[in-house]
Amino acid sequence: MKELMVDYSSSFDPNFSHEKLAQQTLTRLLRATAEYMRRIDGHWYLSVMEKWGNDEALDCDIKVWERLVIYEMKMLSSLLNIHGDDVVTVMKVLQASPWTLTYACDIDVRSNDCAIVTYRNCPTLLALENEGKGREGLICQELEPKLMGIIAHYFNPNIRVTPLKLPPRDGSGDICCQWEFMLER
Amino acid sequence: MELVDYSGTFDPDFSYEKLTKETLLKLIRSDAEYVRRIDGQWYLAVMQKCGNDVAFACDAEIWEKLEAYTMKITCKLLNIHGNDVVTLIKALQANPWSSSYEIKVDLINNDHAIISFINCPTLLALERDGSGREMLICNKLEVKLMELKAHYFNPNMIVTPLKLPPRDPNSEICCQWELKVDR
Repeated sequence: MKELMVDYSSSFDPNFSHEKLAQQTLTRLLRATAEYMRRIDGHWYLSVMEKWGNDEALDCDIKVWERLVIYEMKMLSSLLNIHGDDVVTVMKVLQASPWTLTYACDIDVRSNDCAIVTYRNCPTLLALENEGKGREGLICQELEPKLMGIIAHYFNPNIRVTPLKLPPRDGSGDICCQWEFMLER
Repeated sequence: MELVDYSGTFDPDFSYEKLTKETLLKLIRSDAEYVRRIDGQWYLAVMQKCGNDVAFACDAEIWEKLEAYTMKITCKLLNIHGNDVVTLIKALQANPWSSSYEIKVDLINNDHAIISFINCPTLLALERDGSGREMLICNKLEVKLMELKAHYFNPNMIVTPLKLPPRDPNSEICCQWELKVDR
C-alpha cells in the first residue's frame, strides 16, 4: 500500500487528490477551512459596511445566514447521519459544525431534551471587541439568537432556545455566550 | 473504533479526529461547496440590495485580500514552497476550493503549464442565471485573481488566459490558462 502524504512538499503529482493525504492532515485542513469560512464571511460584512453602512451589512448578513444555516444543517445531518427531534440531536450537529472548530465550546447535556451550551472562546467576538464599535450588540444579541433558533427548529419547532448570557462581557476572562436548549414534552 | 458517521449516542468528547478518513474526505468536499456558497450567497444578497456594481466591487475587494491568504494557509499547512509554476499548480490542486472543481494540468516543465478547469459550479450557476455576469466575474475578476495567486509565488510569473467564458455550448472547458516563468 502506498504511503499517505503528511503534506505536499514532494514533487508534483498529476493525480493529486485529498484522498492521498494522511488523516491528521485532513483534520488540519478542515480546521483551516473553518477559519477560512469565518474570514470570507467577515470580509464580506466589512466590505459592505464600509461601502453602504452597518445597517445594510447586517441586513445582508441576516439574509445570508438564514439561508446558510439551513443548508449547513441539511448537509451535516445527511453526511453524518444525524437524525432526531430532541435537543441532543441539535447538540451533535453543533459539535460537528465546521464553525465549532474555530470556537472553544462546552456542552452540558442534562437530558436528551435539555442542554446548556457555553462558548468560552469566539474569534468573531474578539474581533468585534477589538474593533470597539459595539457591533456585538447587534450581531451577538440580534443575529445569533435568531440563528440558534433556526438551528434548533430545523430539528424540532418546539425546542426553546434561551440565551443565558450574551455580550458585552465582563472582561476577557468571561465566557462569550451561553445558551439553554429545552424541549418540553 | 473510528466513526463512519455520528448516528451513535452523544459523545461529549466528539471531534473530527474520531471520524474515518472516508468521512473526513466527504467533509472536505462538502466544506469546499460550503465555502463557495458563503461567497455566493453574500454576492447575491448584496446584489439584490445594492445592485450588481456594488456586489462586484465588494467581491473584487474581498478576493484581492483573500487570495494571498488562501495561498498562504494552503502552503503552510501542506508545506508547499517554491517560486515556479509547478508550486502554484500544487497549491491550486490542494486549496479549500479545489474539491469543487475539476482541473486538468498539462505540465510542460516546472516553469510552464497549461491548466484547464473542466467543471466549475460557479460558471454553471452564472450560465443558469442568464444575466451574463460571467463576463465580469470570469473575464475581469478571475484574471486578476489568477495573477494574484501566481504573483504570491513569483511576481514574474505570466498568466495568460487562453479560454474564458462565454463558452461554446459543446465546450467541456470552462476556462484555460497558460502559466509561465521566463528565466
